[in-house]
Amino acid sequence: MGTAVLLLLPLFVLVVCLIAYPFYRAVWLSFTDKLVGYPERWVGLRNYLYLIHDDTFRTVVRNSFVFTVASVALKVGTGLLMALVLHATWRWRNFFRGLLLLPWITSTVIIALTWRWMFDAFPGRGFFNSVLLDASLISRPIAFMATPEGAMAAVVVANWWRGFPFFGVSYLAGMQSIPGELYEAASVDGAGSWRRFWHITLPGLKHVMLVTILLTFIFTINDFNIIYVMTRGGPGSATQVFATYSYEVAFNQLRWGRGVTISIFVVPLLIALIPLVSRYLLRERSA
Amino acid sequence: MTGWKAAAIVGLAAFGLVVLVPFWWIASMSFKTYEQIQFAQSIYVPKPFTWENYTGLWLETRFPLWLRNSAITAVVVTALTTVISCLSGYAVARLRFPGRESVASLILILYLVPPALLFIPLYRVLAELGATNSLMALFLSYPTFTVPFCTWLLIGFFKALPIELEEAAMVDGATRVQALRRVLLPLAAPGIVASAIFAFTLSWNEFLYALIFIQDETMTTVPVGLNLLIYGDVFHWGQLMAASVITTVPVVALYMFIHRWMVEGLAAGSVKG
Repeated sequence: MGTAVLLLLPLFVLVVCLIAYPFYRAVWLSFTDKLVGYPERWVGLRNYLYLIHDDTFRTVVRNSFVFTVASVALKVGTGLLMALVLHATWRWRNFFRGLLLLPWITSTVIIALTWRWMFDAFPGRGFFNSVLLDASLISRPIAFMATPEGAMAAVVVANWWRGFPFFGVSYLAGMQSIPGELYEAASVDGAGSWRRFWHITLPGLKHVMLVTILLTFIFTINDFNIIYVMTRGGPGSATQVFATYSYEVAFNQLRWGRGVTISIFVVPLLIALIPLVSRYLLRERSA
Repeated sequence: MTGWKAAAIVGLAAFGLVVLVPFWWIASMSFKTYEQIQFAQSIYVPKPFTWENYTGLWLETRFPLWLRNSAITAVVVTALTTVISCLSGYAVARLRFPGRESVASLILILYLVPPALLFIPLYRVLAELGATNSLMALFLSYPTFTVPFCTWLLIGFFKALPIELEEAAMVDGATRVQALRRVLLPLAAPGIVASAIFAFTLSWNEFLYALIFIQDETMTTVPVGLNLLIYGDVFHWGQLMAASVITTVPVVALYMFIHRWMVEGLAAGSVKG
């Protein structure tokens, strides 16, 4: 018992001072009108009520969900496809798996910058404009990220590109753990490849799919880097999400109380999702 | 089966292109001259090929300083993280004490708490400690996400090692510390190295905390510095691309070196199939 306390002490100091205490301060700040340079005053639920009725904040909530759901859906689809392709690869599978994982280890800021240039309106810097102009498919450059829909599509693509390799590799591991006899038995019974995929592969991947979807949902709904670097939430508020809006309100408008409240709005969602993910992850640990 | 083989080849080629084209675009721009980029010349390969962006980046910008700051931060955070995570990982995996399961759940929950939730209050706490605007802010804040993740990985690694070996050593008269040093640590080394590399990569790539906690342009890290390069009034696109290449290379090199460990470590540690 004594040894355990001693070994866990550094962890507890870290958790209490740098996670739990700041979190408590966040909740406290959300009930104040803290402006940088002024002492805070208790305002009760005023920040929460203000945001609920704020049109920008409603846009932010919608953007966050559009961004997250679109990214996650694309990652699941492409991840499955990537796993199937790797599973069918009979040579150098590890090499290709490593190659396709490259986006996942690259810094998010660099990925965001990269896709900013890929979609850039200016031909010399923008990949799509350079290639389309060179092939004479368009006669003048397109400002992809100047429209609200285009900007949202661009940040979703960047996020998708960063994340799908992790899905692919996880699903490949899942496919490899499905016993081959299941497929043989199904083939003997005359099931075609589509039915084998539908009735054996997908159910076999249920667990890993749930875990990857939930984990990525949690991290994507709170994403800051990709959107901040690519669009700063613009044009207008077209790609503003929880974290970037919270930053904007806290550090540009200097309203800390309201800024913190924006991120607190995600907490109920986290409280609902985190125990679910934890249960899945802890269950496989003890198994 | 030839149909499947053909489909796999087409699929691999498609995925390979999707992954490599953006990397190639950045790398090729980093070797183009200002005129080539500005006037959209020789768009597919840099012709003529030039190193001027790399030399310019090194001599005219603060990039070397940012690189130094990033390296110091990543090394310090990795060291801190490895020590704290090994101690707590070992305690949870090997010692029997009341509340052991709760500690394991707590670590997992902390790993899932997004940094975006804490940046404003953490800024205040660090300011009160007088730690903002220096690398100290990063040494203190990065472990809030590296430690839970690495501890979670290490619990898995330690649990996967057979406890019988340590017990045998202790029956033979070794103390717990000796058993740990001579038996467990050598066996767990691959796991510890993998977790250290994760800590290094997470610190090296971190952006949000560095952006907020450090205002001084000479004290910041590479990811924030790259953003300063764009919004500065200089339009050295090539230098920015060169900086992206230089920042990506060390992580990719580390990763090539231990790729299989990392994938297996991930599989064993967090998302098992």
